[in-house]
Amino acid sequence: MKSWKSVMTVFFVFVLAFIGGCSGSSGESDSSGDPEVVTLNFWDFQYDIHQELFQELVDEYNSIQDDVKIEYASFGNSTDYSNTKLPVAFANKEGPDIFMTSAGDFKKYADAGVMADLSPYFPEGVLKDFLPSTIDAVTYKEKILALPFEMELLGLYYNKQMLEDKNVKVPETWDELLDAARKLSTDKVAGLVLPTDIGPYLNFIWYPFQLQQGGSILNEDGTKSAFNSPENVKALDYWGTFFQEGLAPSKLQYGAGDIDNIATGSAAMQISGTWAIATLDDKFKDFEAGLVPIPIPDNGKHASVAGGWKLAVNSNSEHVEEAADFIMWAFAEDTSRPLKWAKAKSAYPARKSVIEEGQEYYKTGLRKIFTEEIYDSATPEPQYSAEVVNAIGEGLQSVMFGDMSGEEAAETVHEKIQSVLDSK
Amino acid sequence: MKRMKKNRRKRNEVLTAYGFLLPNLVGLTVFVFFPMIYAFYVSLHDWNALSPKVFIGFDNYVEMASDKRWWASVGRTFLFTLIYVPALYCLSLFFAVILNNLKQKYQSIARTMFLLPFAITSVISAVIWMFLYDPRNGVLNQLLSSLGFDKLEFLGSTNQALVSIVVVILWINIGYNMIIFMASIKEIPKDYYEAAKIDGASAWRAFRSITFPLLRGTSTFILIVTMIASFTVFDQIMVMTSGGPASSTEVSVLYIYKQAFEFLNMGYASALAVILFLIIFILSLAQLRLYTKKG
Repeated sequence: MKSWKSVMTVFFVFVLAFIGGCSGSSGESDSSGDPEVVTLNFWDFQYDIHQELFQELVDEYNSIQDDVKIEYASFGNSTDYSNTKLPVAFANKEGPDIFMTSAGDFKKYADAGVMADLSPYFPEGVLKDFLPSTIDAVTYKEKILALPFEMELLGLYYNKQMLEDKNVKVPETWDELLDAARKLSTDKVAGLVLPTDIGPYLNFIWYPFQLQQGGSILNEDGTKSAFNSPENVKALDYWGTFFQEGLAPSKLQYGAGDIDNIATGSAAMQISGTWAIATLDDKFKDFEAGLVPIPIPDNGKHASVAGGWKLAVNSNSEHVEEAADFIMWAFAEDTSRPLKWAKAKSAYPARKSVIEEGQEYYKTGLRKIFTEEIYDSATPEPQYSAEVVNAIGEGLQSVMFGDMSGEEAAETVHEKIQSVLDSK
Repeated sequence: MKRMKKNRRKRNEVLTAYGFLLPNLVGLTVFVFFPMIYAFYVSLHDWNALSPKVFIGFDNYVEMASDKRWWASVGRTFLFTLIYVPALYCLSLFFAVILNNLKQKYQSIARTMFLLPFAITSVISAVIWMFLYDPRNGVLNQLLSSLGFDKLEFLGSTNQALVSIVVVILWINIGYNMIIFMASIKEIPKDYYEAAKIDGASAWRAFRSITFPLLRGTSTFILIVTMIASFTVFDQIMVMTSGGPASSTEVSVLYIYKQAFEFLNMGYASALAVILFLIIFILSLAQLRLYTKKG
């Protein structure tokens, strides 16, 4: 009996030691020596080539002042970052002081109240410099919860050589796009690349087709679903046609947004964004890519969705002010830093003065087309809860894989969205 | 005097035994038992991971009852198990018997080849197969069309995706299970086969009356372990289809993952996990009962 007791005691001591060791220390007891220095954690998602730039930015900030030390950690996979790293850290109350979030996730964090109100920290007059739509996109219950530092636009990229060889006219309307995809599609080459997997990106690429005809997801005040509209049915059916006729691959080897899909010759056309220009310049110098606005239906008007990541400050951080100061320094003061970033990613800055300063740059190569033909038709990526995003994705898939007609899918999604809204 | 000594020795032995078990027990408690109990605790809350937990009793379990997507995923998991477990069992037993009759030299070559896929990281093997399965430029379709068959969509088709995934997981695991079978076949005394031969039994008869019954213990082990594994299948599906196309490969664990990390319904996801655990637990227990009773 006695031995059993002593074994149990030792056992529990071990367990406690283990748990104590695992939970670790957070922030404050940092051994930086100087108690005056505030250490802030900054997390984001970036491709490797872009990580360096943020690292430089952080290093510069650390070197120009002595009060705050930023520790930068970057994750190279957006799904891991958004679905695992961030939520797990927040769940353990160890969320970073500064973090990057996308339009697809914004609502999730806003609803949970973990983003601090940044309105008081914007330097005077700068708010007016931001494009109003980018600020609208991060405004939640009259508070500005994040700093938009980039805008990513969408267009139709195509392989110039392939279109010339087959004598296909560069498509400008829905009919022409479908026709071109049919002509360009072969055993080896897919006509058009569209995303296939459920997630914010699938919806992001589909929204323009809906917006071109004036369709919408919710009613004006966001309380009711408006998904079963004829515009949405039409956009669903049109999208589905590419999959049912086998013109768009039902499974992709590269990421749905990676321009590698057409640059390596496995597809002729692809809807992708401004970020593709950086990859084309970097990896595929010999590839001749063409670019046009996403084709429109009869009587439709051009519409593009502007995506882009945003910087937010953890409202539970003990140093909200210091954290906000850093992101303001990085993107809301001087114009050279945001411009440098925008150039590296070939994205558009969210501030008018920065765009003006980069005028020349935005008029070269494929960027010219984005600047002159697409930029004006952009609206910010809409923000819905994860359940709504998923419902739309499921609707799209059921049309793509032939389970439902556009009309049935629109009705099903409509009911799902309504029940999500009702349960909130 | 003698008795006391014996007692003390016994006590020392017990202490030593527990001493050796201690690190493992601590690990299990911290990483398995505690999270399990905590998951149940979380399942009684509405929790989005970001704001504090709100106690809601068994509401998550009530909600689950009418969650069609959850039950569809459970059904799909059963379907996956029904295809995967018998296929894995039969194929690994089949190859074990065949290989066992090869000459020693060929046997070890074949064994290594069968085991190789098991040594590849599951995510990497999933990616390799995605290339093979590519509908336009994949090797499999090129092979099919050169033989005059129609091309298949594989992972891009709602009907073929689940079976395509089963094939990949079979490819990974057959070698390992085959080796377990081979080891137990080797333990069956040769005399039995010799006696059977003298009595004029065919090879099939020898397999049915000697090999198969004597593998009962190994079979039970493999069936239970494989069944549990197939109920918790996740990584390959996550990589290859993430549940698509059109939810056709969305098994229970994947749905739990989505509820937890995409929709941030941690409480609800924990409730689903508790139920999945109960399903697996009951099935394993039933299976164990079934096999030990017969024996």
